[in-house]
Amino acid sequence: MTRLGLRARVSAGFAVGALLLAASMALFSYDLTRRSLLEERERTAVRAAYFDAAVVRTGLETDAPDVVEVLRSLDTGSLRRPLLHRNDRWYARTAETGAGAIPTELRRIVRSGKPAVQRVRLDGQPVLLVGVPLSDTTSYYELTSLREVEQTLQVVGLTLTAVAIMIAGSGAALGWYATRRSVRPLTDVADVAEKIAAGDFGTRLDATTDPDLTRFSTSFNHMVDQLVQRIERDRRFAADVSHELRSPLQTLAAAASVLARRREHQDERTATAAGLVADEITRFQRLVDDLIQLARTEQPVQREPVDVVALARDTCRARSLPDSLVRTGATTTTTTWSIDRRRVEQILLNLLDNSVRYGRGAVAVRLTCRPPDVGVLEVDDQGPGVPPADREVIFGRFVRGRAAHARADSDGTGLGLALVAQHAAAHGGRVGVTDRPGGGARFWVELPGCLS
Amino acid sequence: MTAVLVIEDDDRIRLAMLLALDDEGYDAYGVATAEEGLRRQRTTPADNVLVDLMLPGMDGFECIRQLRRDDDVPIVVISARDDTHDIVAALEAGADDYVVKPVAIKELSARLRALRRRGRATQVPTQVFGDLEISPDAGEVRRAGQPVPVTRTEFRLLCELAEHAGKVLSRQQLLQRVWGYDTGDERLVDVHVGRVRQKIEQDPANPRHLVTLRGLGYKLQR
Repeated sequence: MTRLGLRARVSAGFAVGALLLAASMALFSYDLTRRSLLEERERTAVRAAYFDAAVVRTGLETDAPDVVEVLRSLDTGSLRRPLLHRNDRWYARTAETGAGAIPTELRRIVRSGKPAVQRVRLDGQPVLLVGVPLSDTTSYYELTSLREVEQTLQVVGLTLTAVAIMIAGSGAALGWYATRRSVRPLTDVADVAEKIAAGDFGTRLDATTDPDLTRFSTSFNHMVDQLVQRIERDRRFAADVSHELRSPLQTLAAAASVLARRREHQDERTATAAGLVADEITRFQRLVDDLIQLARTEQPVQREPVDVVALARDTCRARSLPDSLVRTGATTTTTTWSIDRRRVEQILLNLLDNSVRYGRGAVAVRLTCRPPDVGVLEVDDQGPGVPPADREVIFGRFVRGRAAHARADSDGTGLGLALVAQHAAAHGGRVGVTDRPGGGARFWVELPGCLS
Repeated sequence: MTAVLVIEDDDRIRLAMLLALDDEGYDAYGVATAEEGLRRQRTTPADNVLVDLMLPGMDGFECIRQLRRDDDVPIVVISARDDTHDIVAALEAGADDYVVKPVAIKELSARLRALRRRGRATQVPTQVFGDLEISPDAGEVRRAGQPVPVTRTEFRLLCELAEHAGKVLSRQQLLQRVWGYDTGDERLVDVHVGRVRQKIEQDPANPRHLVTLRGLGYKLQR
């Protein structure tokens, strides 16, 4: 079972609380109303019964009275029905009212000379029985229908139930609203955290005037400051280290070129060693350059209009490749893209280097557009392709493909494709690799916001 | 033999570079401070100056400014730093090119060769752009009849633009033709254009002759 959310739980709590309160209030009111209504009706009924009893007694004092006629002479309305017990015989105005209606207990009390009142149900109808002893042998009973009272009570009960339910609903709504108010700071924090996670390190919570929340927002912002400082320190450390490595590399590069010039004067072992030194200096240098680049990819892109076809051609020439590799799609309407020139140049150079290293050289560089404003770069090679399992990991840092023919594992820095991914991400874009139709790999880079 | 002055405070870098430049056929000599470099350049001027930016005492930027005040010797910055801020500041101070350590000596040698050229060998007649006259063969720029002092690099830039007067040259084209780069740092072009505007335009902020075409490049017009 999934756990309910905070807001749902608080709202349910509010609803239950409101329902309990409203229900007990309703029960209390119902009970009060019921009791006072019944008491009122009972008083009236008893008074009426005494009055009627007096009339009957007077009627019976004559000689050989017609009991039924006496009962008929009572002005009882439709709600009251008289019944007389006289010398072990029952008298009523109509046949429907039977003696069976009077419980034995009541009869016993009345016969013993005390008036009595009892509420009973007759044929499903609530009835109030009032018994008045007239003499040793005569008892007068009156049956008063309580149906009206019961109907009134039903209406009251229904109304009170409806009110209770409405109050519970209002409680739930209040809970929902109140939690939205109180959860809003959390929602704000979530929004800000998402922005920060997306790389916008300048975002902070707005200063609040609510004294209850000041500490919260202050400490959150402080935490973000600390984290950003730490990230920045790490980034700067990588950049600083790389920069510091450049100076000794200059000495090494110059010294290696002096050694290289004297190759013919060196014995074979010395020449080999000198060659190794020179090669490794080159690799070292590339590594340092890539590390510095990587440290910089966090910075925002500087978009400007760039003729990408010219850029791609220049890049091919810089890697001694024919610029006829560069092709544009049939749908390409514009070749001037709004991009960060240096980053896209780096993307192209790294993809071309990658294709030489692992894909037996590039066979095509394709530039296309996709609506609404996405520029797509593709570099095709003719190598063995990239196995599906590797297609994501090769864009990580210091990861090299496990392709068997990767001819020059010793050559790459393991950062080239990571840089491609970072530069693309800085543009808000994505990178990937698929199979090229006809063999080889196709590396693609999507750069959104190119055609604005 | 071409004389090269290396201003570099790190002894080992200086020694290694002098050895390597010597191998490339230069008459190379080095100093450890900007002050010594300026003194040396005044007494025995070199054909090229290589200068580091982080120097004890006077820094590289000031050194470039003072060197530039005296003559138009091609100055190349060799620095471990490659922040835009440093590059632009060094070029604005008057450097002709900026390379980031470590640089291969052959590459450096090619850069120096490209920078020593003054104009093109072809005989192009004097071109007039309003009050501006550019005479490639005489190696002269005049504004309202007065000679304008330009460095060799600035002059090559002007000649290249004058040769294609009225046409747009992209930054990459200018990098290739003026500095000899296949691909390179376009800030080099931008800062040099800015420097040239300071010298030839009446209102450098609103240039009339040397105009920018956004996203395309630069154009020299009448």
